[in-house]
Formats: sequence, structure tokens, C-alpha cells
Amino acid sequence: MIGITALVPAEVIYSCGEAALDLNNFVPNSKLEPEEKLCAWTAIWRELVLRGKVKIDKLVVVAGGDCYNALVEGEKVELAGKPTHYFTYPFDRDSKVMQEELNALAEFLGGIKEEAFDEVAELKKLALEIHEMRCNGEVSAEKGFLIEVSGSDLMGSLEKYRSAIEEVREEEVDYEYRVALLGIPPIYPDFHAFLQEVGMHVVFDEMPFEFIRHSGKNLKEVARSYANYTFAGHIKHRLRFLESQLRRHRVDAVIHFQQFACHHKLEDRLLRDYLYEKLGYPYMTIEADLPSPTPQQARLRLEAFAERLREVW
Amino acid sequence: MLIGLDVGSRAAKAAYYSGDGYEFRIVSSQNWEDLLRDKEGVVVSTGYFRKRVPHDFNVTEITTAIYGVRRFIKRKVDVIIDIGGQDTKVIDIARNDFRMNDKCSAGTGTFLEYIASYFALDVAELAKLHRLAKCAAPINSTCSVFAQSEIVSRLVEGYTKEEVIKGVHHAFAKRIAQMVPKRARSVAVIGGTAKNRGVVEALGKELGVRVFVPEEPQVVNAVGAVEYYLAREGER
Repeated sequence: MIGITALVPAEVIYSCGEAALDLNNFVPNSKLEPEEKLCAWTAIWRELVLRGKVKIDKLVVVAGGDCYNALVEGEKVELAGKPTHYFTYPFDRDSKVMQEELNALAEFLGGIKEEAFDEVAELKKLALEIHEMRCNGEVSAEKGFLIEVSGSDLMGSLEKYRSAIEEVREEEVDYEYRVALLGIPPIYPDFHAFLQEVGMHVVFDEMPFEFIRHSGKNLKEVARSYANYTFAGHIKHRLRFLESQLRRHRVDAVIHFQQFACHHKLEDRLLRDYLYEKLGYPYMTIEADLPSPTPQQARLRLEAFAERLREVW
Repeated sequence: MLIGLDVGSRAAKAAYYSGDGYEFRIVSSQNWEDLLRDKEGVVVSTGYFRKRVPHDFNVTEITTAIYGVRRFIKRKVDVIIDIGGQDTKVIDIARNDFRMNDKCSAGTGTFLEYIASYFALDVAELAKLHRLAKCAAPINSTCSVFAQSEIVSRLVEGYTKEEVIKGVHHAFAKRIAQMVPKRARSVAVIGGTAKNRGVVEALGKELGVRVFVPEEPQVVNAVGAVEYYLAREGER
């Protein structure tokens, strides 16, 4: 089992005959109180691995582009004896550099044994269909989010992920507003359900959507696709991508979810300037620290946000 | 009777509306039940505990602040600053937007209580001492821990207690001013801290705008809850 700490092309991991396990998926329901904490996500997965609460054989840390706290946490895990690889996204979106990174990853995992590119691409296509149902109000944000966020590791098993997708049933979702949730996924496990309670249907989860958006039939195509992972490159690409997605998803309002001690927090001003000041989307920032049910302060903000939307923004 | 009930983190406030005007009452949050004793009517609740207290309708204090300020201040107000016990909200009325600081005590009533307790004062005495200061001691931090270290340094350097308190008020106002949109021309300050004239004066200086304080700044949200109900009555 290969532990991953942010988006690492799972296609390559499965093609090397290994299974991926996104360590972040253990965090929102964790009760662990980590020592030496900046970001709760990285500190908790580090402790879970070091204390043996989550069993992995090797670790792949996204060390460049995306999450920088993870780099040091990965070093701690490596120095404690776990084989660790540092995966870096090219800031300039160079797909040749991306392919070299994929080759290095494959080498760390013992080389490509049986290509799983087609099967993973097919599963992601099915996940994108769930995403469309969610956009059409036929799947709740909570269920849609679970499928999309699980696109990072495909639930540790391609069969398991396929079953999870097949189990999703069409339903009718009542809502007043279509909302985009930007930034890292919420560390509060009930966040989507709470938003639904106050009439806000999340039709676009930025990062989970990235998890199911990238794929390819071979290493070259995978490299070309992941080189466009907007979270890892210059923010100008991300802003343009968001603009098109907000329009495509017919979004009424934007919530930027950010994490205490995460460098992405610094992007809030840029996102607000572009999406609110320039494009006019109602915009709300929520900042979290440790995992818990959505706290009262955040609930108050979100309810007030819904009230403001009702009063015609 | 209509009862606007605002139960916040530190104080509970009620506004009783009988048709010809309001009566108010304020107790500590833990004693909110006293506000409903022997009272009958439609209860519109707000504040952090709005869903934990008996109510017919509930609405957030962002919305009630807008409705309450409209009742109290007849002049044009661009921005409302609601300084609560546990958080501070800056509501941009013109753009229907708001910002909140609820992650640390900087810029909230709790910070001033902490400062008052350091000087063994009641928080209500801070404004009095502010007035007596000849200058404001330079204080930069509004983090309780760092501010205390700065306070000790300023006192050691020879600044008086009054000058340090005035400096604290300016640091407090600077922290809040960072949340206020630059284009704001007039600001209303509400919440219990608005009774502190030192803070209001410092805010006026830091923002360089007109600052209005309603007659009863602590009950604006309770009144706003009733006003919101009255405005929406036709829709029910």
C-alpha cells in the first residue's frame, strides 16, 4: 500500500502493481491531537503513519507545487524508516518535466508492470458522470463529494471505487443556491451536509474535481493532463480555470475554504479580488484548524451568507 | 408583544416591542431565561445561541445588525462594525458583504477584558483612563500574549497606565480597521464595546471617517431581530 499526501497520479501507482491510499482521507474523522502542528492535515497524517495507526509500505509526498508543509512531515516519516519519495509538479506546467517526474515515481515503485491507465480513465469518466448528476441536482453534494474526493486514491482498490460509483442512486436535491467550494477540501466531515441544510448545494468542489479530471491512456498523456493541475502551477492559470468552471457550473456564490498555517491562505486575497471584485461572485472565506463537526462560528458565517444571498446580493 | 432576543457569547439582550416603542433589558448569557420570564409574545432570536433558546423565528446577527442600525441611525451608514465578546463583524451594507474575525481574541471584547484585568480594572473604566492620557504609548500587537509583553515594556520605559491603555485602544482600532473597506465614508459601531469612547475615538482616527454610535449599542441586534420580523411580516 502506497500512502499519498496530496494529488499523486494514481494511474501510475496502480500501473506499478501497487494500491494508493490518500492519507488525508483519515484526517476529518481523526481524534488524534498531533504534536508539532502547523497544518492539521499534514500533522495528523504524519502522526497516523508514525504511530502505525495507518499501515503503508511506502510514502509518496507531494513536495513541490501544492503542499509545502508535507515536505517536512515526509522527511520525518522517512527518517523514521519509511521508504519515501518526493513528487514535484512543474510550476511552468512543462509536460516533459511532468513525465520525468512520473518516470521517477514509477521507478520508486519498482517500475510499470501492468498498465492500468485505461481502467482508471474509465473510472474517472464514471465519476465525472456522477459529478454531472450532482450539477443537475440529482445527487447530493455530500455523496458527490465522497466519490470525487476518493478519486485521488480510488479508495485503495479499483473494484471498490467502481462499486462505490455504481451504488450512487439518483435522488432529488432541494436547494436555493448553487455554490462552488474552492481551496482544499473541508476538514469538517459534515460541511457539505450543513450547507445543504441552509439551502446551499455545492455543485463544484475545486480540488476533488481535479482528482477526477486528470487521466490519460499512457504515461505521456497522463503527464500532459497532470501538468495542468491548477493547484500546483502559477495562480493565473487557476483563476482562468475557475472563471470558466464557475460559469459552466452556473454558480451563484463562492466559498473559499482554507486551513490554518497553509500557504494557500495567502491566495485568498487574489481569489477574492478576481472572483468577487472583478467577476462579482458573492464570496465567503472559511478558515479551519483541527477536524471537528462544523463549529458554530463557521455555521453562523454560512447561515448569514445564505441570508445575504436571499437579500439579493 | 414582539421580543427580539439576542443571546451572545457574553451577554443576553432583549428588546420588547409593543407597537409604540421598545424596552430593553440586558443580563449575562447564562441568565437569558430571565429575559423571557413573565413575557408573552413572538420571539425572534439571534446571536450564537439563537437556536438553543425558545424562538418562533431565528436570524443571524449579521442581518439583525443591518435592520437594527437602520432603526437607530437615520443617516447613511456604509459599514457596521459589531464588536462582540468573542468575535468582530464588519458588515459592508453597500455591497451586502461581511467579514468576521472569530479565530482569535484580537479586536474583540474579550481582548479588552483581558487588558482591563491585567490592570485590575473593570472594563468600563478603560475609557475614563484613555481620556486622561497625554499621548498613546506605541502598542502594535493585539494578540493577548504579545500585547501583554509590549505593555510591560512600555510601562518599564516610563509610559503611564493611561497612555498604555490609550495605545491599546489604538492597536485595537488598527486591527479592526484592516477589515473595513477603504471606500467606507461612514461607520456605525455597535456591541457592548461601542460604549467605550476610547475605542470609538481611536476607530475614528484610524479610519478617518465619521463614526456613529447608536444610543443603545448593545441592544441593536435584539431590536434588529424585531425589525427584521416586521419587515418580513408581509411575506408570511
